[in-house]
Amino acid sequence: MSLPKRILKETERLRNDPAPGITAVPHEDNVRYFDVTVEGPDGSPFAGGNFHLELFLPEEYPMAPPKVRFLTKIYHPNIDKLGRICLDILKDKWSPALQIRTVLLSVQALLSSPNPDDPLATDVAKHYKEDLPGAQEISREWTEKFAAK
Amino acid sequence: MAVVPRNFRLLEELEKGEKGIGDGSCSYGLEDSDDITMSYWNGTIIGPGHTVHENRIYSLKIHCDEAYPDSPPRISFVSRVNLPFVAANGQVEAGKIGVLAHWRRNYTIENVLVEMRKEMASPNNRKLPQPSEGSTY
Repeated sequence: MSLPKRILKETERLRNDPAPGITAVPHEDNVRYFDVTVEGPDGSPFAGGNFHLELFLPEEYPMAPPKVRFLTKIYHPNIDKLGRICLDILKDKWSPALQIRTVLLSVQALLSSPNPDDPLATDVAKHYKEDLPGAQEISREWTEKFAAK
Repeated sequence: MAVVPRNFRLLEELEKGEKGIGDGSCSYGLEDSDDITMSYWNGTIIGPGHTVHENRIYSLKIHCDEAYPDSPPRISFVSRVNLPFVAANGQVEAGKIGVLAHWRRNYTIENVLVEMRKEMASPNNRKLPQPSEGSTY
């Protein structure tokens, strides 16, 4: 299977010059499929957690966005129970100028700034809107329980 | 061609199943909406019209293990049914139904349900005597 040069270059850079707190390693048997870890950002309820994700570059990449999903359970208004992520650049705001690295940095940024007005997990979003400290406490508990390093 | 990994394939199937497929005669969804591994699914087949299955609703369990979709899902009927490809315990015998016997990676849960429904309406099966409606394994 021939792999577009762009994907090879991105993979190389992810290995040689990784973004802080982020790893992305392609599977041996599928070079378009990455094992990803993202550290919870400092100052967020997810700090101290190491979150596992999976990322897949579809045939149309980079004309179509990568597909990304959390494998670690997380209490966040924009991430649902199956780990699906509501993030505009993974949907209609995708641009081929973006990369795996920028996508994962955006995912990490989403952990710092949840957006309960554009929720995927509606019950979590409601909690975040009505009782922010209480909701953040649950996010912290889940981080300790499911994302401990 | 890019090979879609199991989990992203199942997410696609889930999204399609949530929207509802075709004429609604077959449907499927996760057994537990919390199941991050997406291994256990429920399926429903509405019995085809003008057969003994008319107006019956058949529930099924579908198991997509780690090898899916390289290997076919394992399927069993929850509702009792008399069909040549369903064993006495409700398990679908993969060797007796084309879509499972000649499984290909691009086949889906939907394909399996639709083919089984088609089999229910085949000349050999449409008039088979059936267990009482609503009984389960």
